[in-house]
Amino acid sequence: MTRDEIIDLFIGNAVKVAAEPLRVNNNEELNRVLGPILAESESIFCPSVTDKEKAVQLPPEKHTQDYASASVCVEEVCAAIAETGSLVCSSQGGKPVQAGLLPAHHVAIVSSENIYENLDDFFSTLGNSPPTNITLETGPSRTADIELTLTIGVHGPGRLTVIVF
Amino acid sequence: MNSSTQGIPFRTNAAQALRNATLRGAMRNATDTFTIKRADALSGVPLEEWREQASAMRLHVLDNLSDYVDRFEKNAARAGARVHRAVDSQEARERIGSILKDHGIGRVVKSKSMVSEEIHLNNYLETQGVGVVETDLGEYIIQIAGEGPSHIIVPAIHKDRRQVGKLFAEKLGCEYSDDPAVLTRIAKKVLREEFLSAKAGISGANFAVADSGSIVLFTNEGNGRMCTSLPPLHIAVLSIEKMIPSLADLPKFIRLLPRSATGQVQTTYMSVITGTGKPGESTGAQEMHIVLVDNGRSEIVNGEYREMLKCIRCGACLNACPVYRMVGGHAYGSTYPGPMGIVLTTLLDGMERAHPLLDATTLCGACGDVCPVKVPLPQLLRRLRERRVEEGLTPKLEQTGMAGFGKIVKSPFLFHLGQTAGHFLWPVATKIGPMDALDRLPRPVGKTFARRVS
Amino acid sequence: MRVQLFATCLIDTFFPETGEATLQLLRHFGVEVSYPQGQTCCGKPADSGGYRRESRKAAEHFISVFEGNDDPIVIPSGSCASMVKNHYPELFKDDGRMREKAEAIAGRTYELSQFLVNVLKVHEANLFGKGRITYHASCQLTRELGVREEPLLLLQSLKGAEFVPLPYADRCCGFGGIFMAKLPEVSMALADEKVDTILTTGADTVTGCDHGCLMNIADAIRRRGSAVQVKHIALVLAEGLE
Repeated sequence: MTRDEIIDLFIGNAVKVAAEPLRVNNNEELNRVLGPILAESESIFCPSVTDKEKAVQLPPEKHTQDYASASVCVEEVCAAIAETGSLVCSSQGGKPVQAGLLPAHHVAIVSSENIYENLDDFFSTLGNSPPTNITLETGPSRTADIELTLTIGVHGPGRLTVIVF
Repeated sequence: MNSSTQGIPFRTNAAQALRNATLRGAMRNATDTFTIKRADALSGVPLEEWREQASAMRLHVLDNLSDYVDRFEKNAARAGARVHRAVDSQEARERIGSILKDHGIGRVVKSKSMVSEEIHLNNYLETQGVGVVETDLGEYIIQIAGEGPSHIIVPAIHKDRRQVGKLFAEKLGCEYSDDPAVLTRIAKKVLREEFLSAKAGISGANFAVADSGSIVLFTNEGNGRMCTSLPPLHIAVLSIEKMIPSLADLPKFIRLLPRSATGQVQTTYMSVITGTGKPGESTGAQEMHIVLVDNGRSEIVNGEYREMLKCIRCGACLNACPVYRMVGGHAYGSTYPGPMGIVLTTLLDGMERAHPLLDATTLCGACGDVCPVKVPLPQLLRRLRERRVEEGLTPKLEQTGMAGFGKIVKSPFLFHLGQTAGHFLWPVATKIGPMDALDRLPRPVGKTFARRVS
Repeated sequence: MRVQLFATCLIDTFFPETGEATLQLLRHFGVEVSYPQGQTCCGKPADSGGYRRESRKAAEHFISVFEGNDDPIVIPSGSCASMVKNHYPELFKDDGRMREKAEAIAGRTYELSQFLVNVLKVHEANLFGKGRITYHASCQLTRELGVREEPLLLLQSLKGAEFVPLPYADRCCGFGGIFMAKLPEVSMALADEKVDTILTTGADTVTGCDHGCLMNIADAIRRRGSAVQVKHIALVLAEGLE
């Protein structure tokens, strides 16, 4: 598959799992799509470690270091998997894995070159000494424990936005 | 038609379940929905190929189980986890209890683990003064209700929304609502506080990866992640047959487990947890313990029923089973219900207790068709029925009847005599207690087919 | 062409008209049918309860009755045909000589609809029917013998009859041999659900290849007070010959 085909496959599968995928090509477009989301958020956590994270224009009065109390987390995640429409969140390099778990809205930026076509491609890169925590995140949290009626938004974020950059 | 008084009273339980209209409606809805979702998710995929590969991999692991367990232990320790082997339920419970005690823990958050039910962990911890908070919504519901799970994937499926609403109103003191979204929000609020203040989390594991020493956890709610990465102490409990060789082997099972269980391509969250903080990492549990439960499995793996240990706990066989659909999980009186439950309970708890469960199948074969790892459930059930007969645990009247059958079947003369007797004695026979099933059959004819052709 | 007929103990004892219909059908299509009079029961009742020794006795007797010649053995029952084809060889897994015999017998045993479609191509002949017919797909027939299409081909070929598919056609009806006697409450509940689906089709006749199932379904229909008729597929097809 070409890179574009992989991205299209990822986006198609991300839509199916309600992961609200968006595609941007530069920092301007990134901030254009983020603008409305950040405007309606009360408090925003962003690690501001990677280049793309640093490019996010954060309203300073809403910015917080406490991801547990933030209403939205904007961060770059390490990879994605087109086959399932999943993001890959890793604890490598000091990333707090809970940052994308605790807020109600997780906005995940993934670099298009880090999207793997399928599960095998990704898992074969891990070797036998992976980071402590690798989590595949496929859509917003959900449960159907009561009468198999689907409810979105349980303990993990009730809203997931994926930005392919 | 009663079996040993020590045995699980399945017939009584089943008859009671059949009178419960709410339960029947709930089970019909759940199993029909799951069946459709599973079929949709598996249409258009090379299912037979996937099943065969997954089955072969699971068999390979079982063929080398103790090596894989050793390898897992070594690599998990290398990654920073402390591994404990528990030969039986008691040892597992006590080990977990003492880890918590050593850390002065009085309250734990817990994400769903079927093996923790098998070892009766929660009750034990409560007696040791440790409060356990189940965080999977279904487990939370049944915990409040004081019940056990009735399905291995959706533990509270036997309850309808009104029952859950009433339960929450009574036990949590909130306003009554029967809206699942509202009820979920209530649980979420309560459990969020628990997650953030917990000093320890207990989880199960769907798989354990030998080469890396990782455990793998599939959830949809996010409670698994919360239990395993928020508190400073994480205890994972799993049974030894959950091993897979390496992370590169995981995709085979990612493709089959969620689709078979809930019809999802992937669950919302799947965490691969490998020991504790590596250099350069922050957050996450500081201390991780892994308790490996044997509870008879190293014997089972060497025996003729070993293929049962291929099971990946997807629940597809429950959803396919016509009997389970009718009566729900509690009728089985055991940790594991449905077809896999009948086999596993018999193997773990023994024939004397479990043999009435062997009645709970029509041997229709639907379970074997849907198992993603090709556990030969119908053959295992047949073979266990044979063993039950060999051990003399079937009703005496039945044994006598079958012995009589054995004589009649070899003698056309006796066979025809039996048919004639049946024709004349029918009106009387159907009135005799244990023969009441005959009431549902027509009367034997006066002139049999054999006589019509001769 | 010659075949041997195994009528099954249920047909012999309770439903001889199905046996007669089977004879009529086979003869109509030019088959010479012999009926070894020594036949009794295939052993399935013992097998379904896990009574291996008694099942083996039935199997030994069956083999002795049918090994006289090499003619195909036709059986108007999925569960009996599967007993012979799939379970007889396994019953003798420790007895080389009997196992060989069992495999030879198994190799030339056919369930009736299997034989009618795959050997005689009856579904391409001129068959008639009437009314609205639906079909219950029994468990051993479908899952052990793999016979799914043949009954449908036969029923769909009936001129003058309307075939309507049964929702959840291959869901167990609750007979299960010994199951019916050991868990009668569950058995009846399963049969009731089967009748629920049958009634949604508006069919006036429900048919199938197995009298065990049909007996169980007929009981549930009677308890429901419904007028739907329950007929073995042999009877349905034979009626269309007139």
